[in-house]
Amino acid sequence: MNTNHLSAWEQEEYILDERTPQMLRHLSECAECRAAVARLEDGLGVYRKAAVEWSAESLAARPQQLLIARKQPLLSLRWAMAAIIPLVLLLIALLPFRASSPRPVQQAAQVRDDSRDDALLDQVDEQISAAVPSSMESLTHLVSTGDRATAKGSKHLVQNN
Amino acid sequence: MEALEQLNYPGELSPLRDRMIAELEDVNTLCATYRSRIYRYALLSLKDPDLAETVTQDCFLKAFKARKDFRGDCSIATWLTRIATNLIRDCTRSRKFQFWKTAGSTALEAGDIADRLRSPGISPENSLVVREELVKVWDAVDALPDKQRSVFVLRFVEEMELPEIATAMGLHVGTIKSHLHRGLAAVRKAMEKTR
Repeated sequence: MNTNHLSAWEQEEYILDERTPQMLRHLSECAECRAAVARLEDGLGVYRKAAVEWSAESLAARPQQLLIARKQPLLSLRWAMAAIIPLVLLLIALLPFRASSPRPVQQAAQVRDDSRDDALLDQVDEQISAAVPSSMESLTHLVSTGDRATAKGSKHLVQNN
Repeated sequence: MEALEQLNYPGELSPLRDRMIAELEDVNTLCATYRSRIYRYALLSLKDPDLAETVTQDCFLKAFKARKDFRGDCSIATWLTRIATNLIRDCTRSRKFQFWKTAGSTALEAGDIADRLRSPGISPENSLVVREELVKVWDAVDALPDKQRSVFVLRFVEEMELPEIATAMGLHVGTIKSHLHRGLAAVRKAMEKTR
């Protein structure tokens, strides 16, 4: 019986497919080392099986089209931007033109309003410029140079009373 | 874009690369072929199905966007694994992930996994032994540092070759081997406890 068993390192090297002829010869002769290597390989095999099954189970619960579904908003956003940007630019370009050329009907209405405003302002100006308000205008004609005697007589009448 | 910035492979352009880029163009076929593999890798690394799904989707989107940068120096699977590795690393570094990891809310119990394991044609006694063994291995792998666990998963679940893992992880083959030895030592130690 061979007592020079494979070291832990050598067993790991065997698992990693780094196998030397001496290693293979020893394993063919030594049941103990064969069992140790097989045990480690079994453990790794069980781990792999469990990992693959768990992953497959988890993946099966998720729809395949997620990637495409996530891509679509990005693409549609680009198309939307491509459609909107020229429209915005066109509106910006048309805005000064529209402002500088109002419609004829609006223009005529504006002229009418302006003339009405002017007339009103003239009327107000005339009223403000008058020395006596229009309601008291008749009183300015009551006393004149020819009527002074009459005015004095009337004064005496008031004193006598 | 950090994941893509690191995808600089030396080498020349070739017809093989053009064929691979053509394969990358068809994102639906690409997903159908590699989705389960990338998702599994992300799931075993993050232990969170929602995060794993996010990483998987981001991985394919990044690969699709960067398909012209693919040099064809490695297989598409390795290239995708490298993108996924960088995404997983970014994810595990986030404060949010660290918080939930500390809280333990996303951690799946090894017992739950063992309960789900289907073992047809095995006696109840043997099934119990297998279950116990799985719990030990699962816990031992879970306890590995992030990088060691990723290397372990790529080797023993995805069955990738050491140079492929080195390319995917951006490490030397010697470093990969060292990580694997440490991982195997941890698993062996855990399994010996059952004796």
